[in-house]
Amino acid sequence: MIEITDIEKIYRLGGETIKALDKVTLSIKEGEFTSIMGPSGSGKSTLMNILGLLDRFDNGKYMLNGTDVTELSDDQLAGVRNKEIGFVFQSFNLMARMNVLENVMLPLVYAKVPADERKKRATEALEKVGLGDRLYHLTNEISGGQKQRVAIARSIVNRPSVLMADEPTGNLDSKTTEDIMRIFQDLNDEGTTIVMVTHEPEMAAYTKRIVHFRDGQITEDETVTPKQLSKAEVD
Amino acid sequence: MFIKENFKMALDSIFANKMRSFLTMLGIIIGIASVIAILAVGNGAAKEITGTFSDLGATTINLTANDSDDSNAALEQEDLVVLKDSIEEIQYISPNQQISGTASTEMDSRQAVVSYGTPDLQYLSQTMSSNLIHGRYFNQIDFDENNSVVVIDTDGAEALFGRTDVVGETLSVNITQTRLDLRIVGVVEGSFADMQGAFDADQIPLFMAMPQSTVGQQVPQLAGMNSVIIEVEDTEQIEPISNQIVRLLELRNDAVGENIYNARNFLQALDQVNNVLSLFINFIAAVAGIALLVGGIGVMNIMLVSVTERTREIGTRKALGATTKTILIQFLMEAVILSLIGGMIGLTLGILLSNVIASALNIVPIYTLGSVGLVLAFSTAVGVFFGIYPARKAAKLTPIDALRFE
Ligand SMILES: Nc1ncnc2c1ncn2[C@@H]1O[C@H](COP(=O)(O)OP(=O)(O)OP(=O)(O)O)[C@@H](O)[C@H]1O
Ligand SMILES: [Mg+2]
Repeated sequence: MIEITDIEKIYRLGGETIKALDKVTLSIKEGEFTSIMGPSGSGKSTLMNILGLLDRFDNGKYMLNGTDVTELSDDQLAGVRNKEIGFVFQSFNLMARMNVLENVMLPLVYAKVPADERKKRATEALEKVGLGDRLYHLTNEISGGQKQRVAIARSIVNRPSVLMADEPTGNLDSKTTEDIMRIFQDLNDEGTTIVMVTHEPEMAAYTKRIVHFRDGQITEDETVTPKQLSKAEVD
Repeated sequence: MFIKENFKMALDSIFANKMRSFLTMLGIIIGIASVIAILAVGNGAAKEITGTFSDLGATTINLTANDSDDSNAALEQEDLVVLKDSIEEIQYISPNQQISGTASTEMDSRQAVVSYGTPDLQYLSQTMSSNLIHGRYFNQIDFDENNSVVVIDTDGAEALFGRTDVVGETLSVNITQTRLDLRIVGVVEGSFADMQGAFDADQIPLFMAMPQSTVGQQVPQLAGMNSVIIEVEDTEQIEPISNQIVRLLELRNDAVGENIYNARNFLQALDQVNNVLSLFINFIAAVAGIALLVGGIGVMNIMLVSVTERTREIGTRKALGATTKTILIQFLMEAVILSLIGGMIGLTLGILLSNVIASALNIVPIYTLGSVGLVLAFSTAVGVFFGIYPARKAAKLTPIDALRFE
């Protein structure tokens, strides 16, 4: 589903150039739950932004579901992001002044889904993350963990082929982190492909594949048995 | 992107910063309020003035002869006869001149206002008094034969004779040091009765009306008629008839193109008033225009601030699938709605304001659908014009730059 070959990303600051990604080649298949691990500054976010079509790269090739993304216009990329990719950000990035339901409906608005259908699908997504009883709360009336669950509901509402999360639990405590990881595991069990960036091994331990990163290069790519969280604990 | 969602989003963000939004709208509010007030009051004033002119003289033509370098140019009695005979729309034609003098009998004397003209004088809408109480008005025979006859008013009769039925009595009047002995043929209603207060009771002037021919014969310096009032039947025809009168006089007196005769009607006077009025309206409109410009710049400024404040929001929206056009429309719509709300408040305020001004000026303000449309169009235009730059700025952000913004 995701095929990147010899991807390079170079930042130029004044006269200095920083190679944030140095000939990265990676393939992610449908149904995988992959974590990208590495120290700060190793290029994890840079890679995620490119995989998520938020940023362009300098060299290499990126095939997403058989399409060469370098050939797409900005608005076509927006369409692909809308339909194929779900984002979960470290800082949640919910819309203030909108309630929980409206936040989750937003990708459907951009997908031009009719209003009643939007509401139905957003409610379903929120029920899936255990927030079926918070539909009309404003985003400043819920906790951090609940915010991230709203963000997850928003990321899956358009039924994307891949969910991308950059340090999704970076702003959360350990108990809430477990809740989030359990939701990810459940979604993955139902077939959602997930790519997650983290610099914590404990987090990576919940995933099925760990890609180690250092200085813009992949140093190790291991398949592991994920640490299981029992479903019964979901509140 | 659906209009409804954009609309709700715009309202949300406008109401999230109520004070800021209000201050931003202030320029537009002031601009629109003044435009509405000016149009309503201006139109009301124009209508009022038109009405006044029509009431007073919609059928009146004021004919003058300019004899500055040619005394022959003054209007002759024969001119009046010819005009009345050849232009059938002319109902009445008469000079309406006034001169003051002193009227006296053996008993008493009094200030007098002497009005003179043709027998048509009694029918002119401008004439001071024509309601006969006793006797008759002076007639064509009196006029043709320069008879020394006079019509006076009841107040004068009371003052000089102690009674009103004074037909057949005589009195004399001194005009410009000439003494005229006159026989009273009629008595009309008191002319200055409704102007009491303006005079002491024993000083109310006597009103007299007499043939112009008699005055002209006895006081040669008053013989010339430089100004004549003409009444026509129908206000519709007033302009062509005015032109016809001038043409006829020019042909008759061999003065074509010499610009001696001048026939003025209320339309020209109205034109002048309207010119002054529109000058005034344009001036205020310019002021309102400046207010709108300032308001527009305010909108642009606040939208730029808003785009900066909401850069991360824009980034998130783009990540979720918003296209360049979607973001552009969102911010443009916000600017337009901001100015439209300003326009609506301005409209309301303008209506209130025009009512206050109008009632102070004692006129009725006139609102047209056009002026409401103008407000809507103008506010939208301001919103689009000043909103497009910030909206484009927001729309052109790349998703990653917008998301990374702090
Ligand atoms: N916009 C930018 N301009 C210049 N350099 C950048 C920019 N973004 C990232 N970099 C550089 O690229 C390198 C990789 O950064 P990146 O954000 O991908 O690291 P990371 O692995 O996500 O780190 P962290 O764990 O701290 O989030 C770093 O050296 C960083 O300084
Ligand atoms: Mg990072």
